[in-house]
Amino acid sequence: MAGFFSRLAGRGGSAVPGLIAEKIDPRTIEKLVASIPGGVVIVTGTNGKTTTTKMLVTALEHGGTSVLTNPTGSNLARGVTTALIGASRRGRVRGHGVAVFEIDEAAVRTLAPRLNPELIVVTNLARDQLDRYGELDTAAAHVGVAVAAARRAVLNADDPAVSALDDGRTAWFGAAAPIRRTMPHDRVLYGSTDPDAPAVALDATLEGVERSGDGQRIRVAIGGAVRQAELQVPGVYNGYNATAAVLAAAEFGVAPQEALAALEQMPPAFGRGQVVIYRNRRVRLLLVKNPAGFNQALRLLVDEPDPVDVLVAINDNHADGRDVSWLWDVRFEDLAGTPHRLGTTGIRAADMALRLKYAGVEAWAEPDLGAALDRIVSEAPEGRLVYVVPTYTAMLALLDRLLPGTSRAEAWT
Amino acid sequence: MDVSGEAVIAHLFPQRMNIYGDTGNVITLVRRLEWRDLPVRVDLVPVGVEYDLLEADVVVAGGGEDTSQVEVARDLSERAGNVHRAVEAGVAFLVVCGTYQLFGRKFVASDGSELPGIGVFGADTIGGRGRMIGNVVVESDLGRLVGFENHGGRTRLDSGQPPLGRVVKGSGNNGRTGEEGAVVNNCFGTYLHGSVLPKNPGFADEILRRGLERRHGPTDLVPLDDTLELAAARVAAGRP
Repeated sequence: MAGFFSRLAGRGGSAVPGLIAEKIDPRTIEKLVASIPGGVVIVTGTNGKTTTTKMLVTALEHGGTSVLTNPTGSNLARGVTTALIGASRRGRVRGHGVAVFEIDEAAVRTLAPRLNPELIVVTNLARDQLDRYGELDTAAAHVGVAVAAARRAVLNADDPAVSALDDGRTAWFGAAAPIRRTMPHDRVLYGSTDPDAPAVALDATLEGVERSGDGQRIRVAIGGAVRQAELQVPGVYNGYNATAAVLAAAEFGVAPQEALAALEQMPPAFGRGQVVIYRNRRVRLLLVKNPAGFNQALRLLVDEPDPVDVLVAINDNHADGRDVSWLWDVRFEDLAGTPHRLGTTGIRAADMALRLKYAGVEAWAEPDLGAALDRIVSEAPEGRLVYVVPTYTAMLALLDRLLPGTSRAEAWT
Repeated sequence: MDVSGEAVIAHLFPQRMNIYGDTGNVITLVRRLEWRDLPVRVDLVPVGVEYDLLEADVVVAGGGEDTSQVEVARDLSERAGNVHRAVEAGVAFLVVCGTYQLFGRKFVASDGSELPGIGVFGADTIGGRGRMIGNVVVESDLGRLVGFENHGGRTRLDSGQPPLGRVVKGSGNNGRTGEEGAVVNNCFGTYLHGSVLPKNPGFADEILRRGLERRHGPTDLVPLDDTLELAAARVAAGRP
């Protein structure tokens, strides 16, 4: 049976074969996972899952292992099942040494025990779309179940909601104090704990971050040496993601300098700092989903030395989170006084413009995504960097214009 | 403005009870005073910190996670006398979601455990299965209000306890009676967050006007350009 489904899955990459297989044999996942020699790595957390997954896959493949992974956006049970079936023949996964799956924090509690993971990587835990995920305490408890199901964990020592999940089988990543202070975790953001140093010794430390072209130069201390890499992805948070990926790769025997060398070659994941050329302007896409992520995106904007044009695209469909109140928890006040020009678009363009108005930042509002993209690009001088900061479904809709001829499936992998 | 010359907004439990963008309510009140060149100060009042609410013109508090609500219930029981005196004196209150529930008599969770409230409102809240989540439109004496609700507690008002308004869309207090929120004197309780005040500028100004009157006398709040506020409210009212 599985052979038939794997041919189906191989063509479309849709989640439908996964659903069918789940109905026919509810233990499909367990059986296929058992046939992967190196086992499964789970990457979960609120922000940075996609980029960290891509980084870890890149580092492991550079080390000579063929890695099975799930396409971005298919990070629930069906996406994982589909990926497993797509790689299988006669009931066994063939040709892959290890699997690295990005898994949504809402699904990880039930999925992790079925995947019998060798390793789990938890990037961070922040308040996210309360109408979908519920309270942060609940999400943390779910991820805790997954950590308990894994043989080893790579955890963020700087995020107390994550470090609390430690049960003694943890490799720790984090950042040196000056960097850590620029990345307040969610509990500090909401003021309920102090931002003191973590109480554990770090196995991998992000020691330095410095802008470099469209990306950044990072320094990571691991295994008694400090090593440097030029990443194509910008932002301190991606420095954290890289540190986590290098540490996770080391768990599989990939030397840190090899892992970092591999990361230098890695382009940004779709929408995660990726730069596309559109009508002679460089357009950088920064997906935002929650206050912590948006605050990270804002830091990139505030640090831009030259004026940039910024289009913020806020939809409120189910996948975006129907409640846009989180926009009031983002520190848009930091944009006041910058030379940047802002426009807003998407279903909730007016809400976004209103938030900016109360932050003392002028912005126009054009709910139509296409018209707004045309406007921001027309108003930007040629060669100027344009930031597009969309929620999930707004990004999908903008994709058709920014990357014409690219199917969504291609863009996501 | 005279008397102390400065409007005072007290933000209760700013860290514990702010999960639904509740800070937006404070930002809105502050800006709408600043845009009218009226001086304003914000006092943050965390859990366990002593503060005389009679020194404030407007008091704002929001919703929190379950663990926070337990701490806040304990804190409120200690400042209950002060809250009652402030409400009677005419201090304006906006209490949203979790704090609104604790301004009733009690919150009974679905497992039967009980959190005592301070009984400003004649209301009890019972935890229930399934959350009420979505955009809400309310008709009230203060006009049409638009917000977002996300709560599992069902609040029942006593027969003599006036609601803030009646839902035209959404669930409101309990999804059955059509009532939303509660009002005692200048104290407004509501499930509307999202944040409620930015998109309801008339409500924001009414809270400011009522709050300022006690210490500063009748205050003339000059009209502001609310085109964007009302446009955002219109869009929200049309969303699921």
